[in-house]
Order: sequence, then structure tokens, then C-alpha cells
Amino acid sequence: MANKLISMKEAVSKYTWDGMTFAHGGALPVGSDCIAFFREMVKQGVKDINCISNCNTQGTNLLAAAGGIARMEVGFAGLEVYGFANGLKRMVETGKTILEDYSNGAIPIRLLAGALGLPFIPTFISTGCDQQWCCADNPDAYPNTEKIPQITDPFTGKSIGAFKALNPDLAVIHVTMADELGNAIVLGTEWSRFELSRAAKKVVLQADYIVDTDCMRQYPNLVRIPDLVVDAVVYWPMGVWPACSTGIYDGDEEHFKNMNKMLKTDEGTQEYIEKYVNSYNTNEEFLAVIGKEKIDKLTNTATAFLMAPYKKWIKSDADIQKLMEGR
Amino acid sequence: MDYSKNEMMAIATGREFKDGELAIFGVGLSMLAGFFAQKNHAPNMIAFTEGGVYGSTPVGGLPWGIEDNSISANATSFTNGVDALGMLVAAGKVDNAVIGAAQIDKYGNVNTTGIWTEGTQPWKVGKYTLPKVRLNGSGGANEIAVGAKKYLIMAAHEKKRFAEKVDYISSPGYINGGNDREQYGFPGGGPSAIITNLGILRPDPVTKEFYLDSYFIYSSVEEIIENTGWDLKISPDVKVIPEPTEQELENLRAVDVTGSLRKK
Repeated sequence: MANKLISMKEAVSKYTWDGMTFAHGGALPVGSDCIAFFREMVKQGVKDINCISNCNTQGTNLLAAAGGIARMEVGFAGLEVYGFANGLKRMVETGKTILEDYSNGAIPIRLLAGALGLPFIPTFISTGCDQQWCCADNPDAYPNTEKIPQITDPFTGKSIGAFKALNPDLAVIHVTMADELGNAIVLGTEWSRFELSRAAKKVVLQADYIVDTDCMRQYPNLVRIPDLVVDAVVYWPMGVWPACSTGIYDGDEEHFKNMNKMLKTDEGTQEYIEKYVNSYNTNEEFLAVIGKEKIDKLTNTATAFLMAPYKKWIKSDADIQKLMEGR
Repeated sequence: MDYSKNEMMAIATGREFKDGELAIFGVGLSMLAGFFAQKNHAPNMIAFTEGGVYGSTPVGGLPWGIEDNSISANATSFTNGVDALGMLVAAGKVDNAVIGAAQIDKYGNVNTTGIWTEGTQPWKVGKYTLPKVRLNGSGGANEIAVGAKKYLIMAAHEKKRFAEKVDYISSPGYINGGNDREQYGFPGGGPSAIITNLGILRPDPVTKEFYLDSYFIYSSVEEIIENTGWDLKISPDVKVIPEPTEQELENLRAVDVTGSLRKK
């Protein structure tokens, strides 16, 4: 079996390209996502991304603010209690990012259709409203009849909407733990990560922990993403920061707010990139940017007990280093 | 009795929940209203989040988001969006829910997507131009709107928000009124009340146009008419909403540990 561990730098350069259809997986804006992968995309200057998002997160907020997202299909474009996503909002209002609106249930269901190899899937969601009638890709046709067309149910003759399936070029999925082969366990809600891992043409995992495969053998029911659908695994502790990774660390309220404030302007975004994207090369340096005191505070989470059963299988940094060198 | 208007609004919303209901609510005020109901009069109400967090209550204050760790610390099940939003909410299994609104019209259609300069709204000009202010989009409110058996809409009562027609329908209420929902086959029943900081509006059983049902003691029919952008009909037996009881306030404040609603 293949060892799929690769560096963050290599993962972005190998699996992303300008103009690709990119999907990312995690929970809602305040929940987990592959934020560190987005930082590396910004660092490497990936652009013209066609982004498939359940929700905006601080990852898409940052990549949009940096000018990397040309188009986005999304269910929710904000940051929950933190308010508007200033970076994304600014790009949408100035016409630099085209935003195609759906709802939170729409994207997972469209991915499910893609995963099943179906061309479309019937839906009540997003119909009878402007998500159906307004199409950012074809703004002159209102009400639009092609984005979510009404079709006839062949069994009852009744009218029902149809969602187009989604098959992104790449899905980058945050997982709590993965083994080197790509088997993964997610703690917390998985949102659309299951469908996403089957709908995408390539899958890269961003993991907080690398564990021994024996962990997967102990809890096979929890391995919702098995190795055979995974192309690469990136080990990146604290990679969801400033959002939360259930079982490991809480969200960083202070940085979450500060980041969103900085993304409000071009100057602020450049400053953010200098300080929190270009300021590190290794994960060790990344952790130093967050700071030990902050990490200690965030890892003191009420969800920490969720990790307890898996602890004995966690691989040390030295073991992971050896695995990486042995590839 | 000393209480804030936000507390009154949360209590009025909480009173709409019945014991034993399967419910879903978002973050902030709507979550407080829901957990208040559970503590006060609906101990068997079951709530979950749209991402599939089951059996949990917030730990250490209200969460910043509905999948935040503070609502994941005592869950009994974690599933996913297709399950929670699809199989439960959109499929029609949820009894009651709360959604918010930046703009709302007389048929209970909700806009949370964008505000356009007057005269440039997509439905007026026949094309989809960029909004003046881009808002957050529907999130999971659209699934609630199409699927929940009934749901509540919470909104600040201002003329610019209570429009004859919203700029953009993010979550459909009764669309153009009457039986308009039927052509889409929605499993859900549509909004049962609009609860504002001034009073409660309910839909006419036939036309589905929202009328004034009741108002808070510190409000008035006149004030509500003044703050509504359509020609609001008034119930012939419009009434004053009972003030919070001591027990209700105590239970609300036990849920609102940070006192976010107490500010006047």
C-alpha cells in the first residue's frame, strides 16, 4: 500500500492549478476547514479558482480577499456570529468574484449526485425563490429557467426542481486524523465531507494528527473516508486555526475577528498575508506564529475528551518525518 | 417587572414552541429562544443543528457558530448535512424552527442575500445586477422554509425591512400568496408567525398575507403600522401580548448566561 504523506507545499503545487474547480471540506464557517491549505494557495499565488463551497470559511474569505477566487458556488457567504466575511463581500460587491447562490443543503446534495455518477438530482431546496430565478452566470435572463430547472416527475406528473451534479477537480478535506495510506476519521459533524470525497476527481486530506492504521482497524465504522478515494495526505497541526477542530482545539475568537477586520481592505489583506501567510515555511514556524501561549489556551477545549480513545495510535513528529523521508 | 425588549421577543418566540416538538434553530437570539422554551415549558422538545449535531446543549456560553466546539462537547451523535438538512429538515420531518431576516414581505418571503438600490432589484429590471450591499445568503434557512412543518421568522420591525416585496427571495414564504407554494410541491407548511421587537404577525389562512395579531405592551398598533412597508391589516381582535412571568424571565436568564439579551 502506498504511503501518501506529502508536504503542504508539494500538495498545493502538485494538485492545484489556475482556473481549476476547487472544493473544500469542513463544517460551517466557525467549524473546521482546510484553512492552512488556503494559506498555502495564497502563498503560491493560485488564482482564477472556481470554488465549490458548502459555506464560506476563513479560508475562502482569505483566498477571495487575495484575489484568488473568480467564481464561487456557495450556500452561506458569511461568518455566522462573527458577521459578514469582509474579504469575500468586498470582492463580490466590486464584481471581482462571481457568486452563485445556493443554500446549505444544496451543495451537499449536488455533491451526492456527483458522487453517485448522476447528472442531476431532484430538489425542493432552492426552488420557488431567487436562488432559482437569479443566475450570476447568466444575469440577463430573469427569471432564469436553466440554473435549477423545473422538471416533471415521471411518476406523478408533478413539477419539481433539478440540481446539476457537482464533480470538482479537487477536494481538500480537513480530517481530525488520518493514517499514511489516507484512511481518515472526522470528529464532529462531517458536513459534506463524505459526499465530497466521492464526488471529487482528486482528494487531498489535511490532518491534525497522523495515526497508525491499527486505529482504523479498531474503529472501521468511523472511517468514512477510506484510503482508496484519497490521493495525498498532508500533516498540518493547528491547520484549521483560527476556526475550531473538534476534539483538539477551540476557535480563536481574537484572531478570527482580527483576520476578518484585516481582510476588509486591500492594504489590510496584504498585511495579513505578510504576517500570517508568508511569515512561515514549516509547520513548526506556523505554530510559532500562532504562539505557544495561544495554542495552550485553544487546546484546553471542552471537547478534548473526544480524542481520548485514539491517543495511543498518534504518531510522533519524528515518526512522521521518517515516513515522509521514506517515500 | 424589569426586562428588556430583546428578552420579551425571545420569550414570545419561545412560547411558540410546544413540548415534544422536533426543532432546529440557528445561532444567537433564535437559539436562546429555543433553549428557553426547552427549559421553561417544553422539556421534551428535541433540537439539533443543520450539520447534524444531536443531543447537545451549549457548554461555556453561546456558540459563535452552530458547529462550534461549544455545541459539540456533549453531543450524542454527529452526522452530516445531507442527513440533518436534507433527510430531516428538507424532507419535512421538523415540527418548528426559527429563521432570521434582513428583509421580509407581506407573504413571509425572506431576504438574507442582498440589498439593491431602489429600482434595480432583479424582479423589477428583469436581470440580476450586483446588489448595493451583499449579505450572507440563505444558509440552512431555505431548507427550513421549504421543509419545516411550520417555522417562525424573527426580525427587527423597521419600514425598510418590512417591504411590500423583498429585493431577493432567499427563503420562500408563501411566494405570491394563496396556494402559491403548491406549484413547487414543498413538504413544509410555511411560516406561522413573524415575531418582531414590536409584536407578532400571523398569516391569513386563505390569502397568506401577514396581518397584525398582537403587540407588546410598550408598542402600539400605530407604531407597528408606521414601521411596516405594506398596508398592514389589523386583526379585529388584536391583543396585547402578556408580559414575561417571573418564571419565564428566570428560565430565560438561566439560558442567557452572558446576559446578551439583557442590554436595553
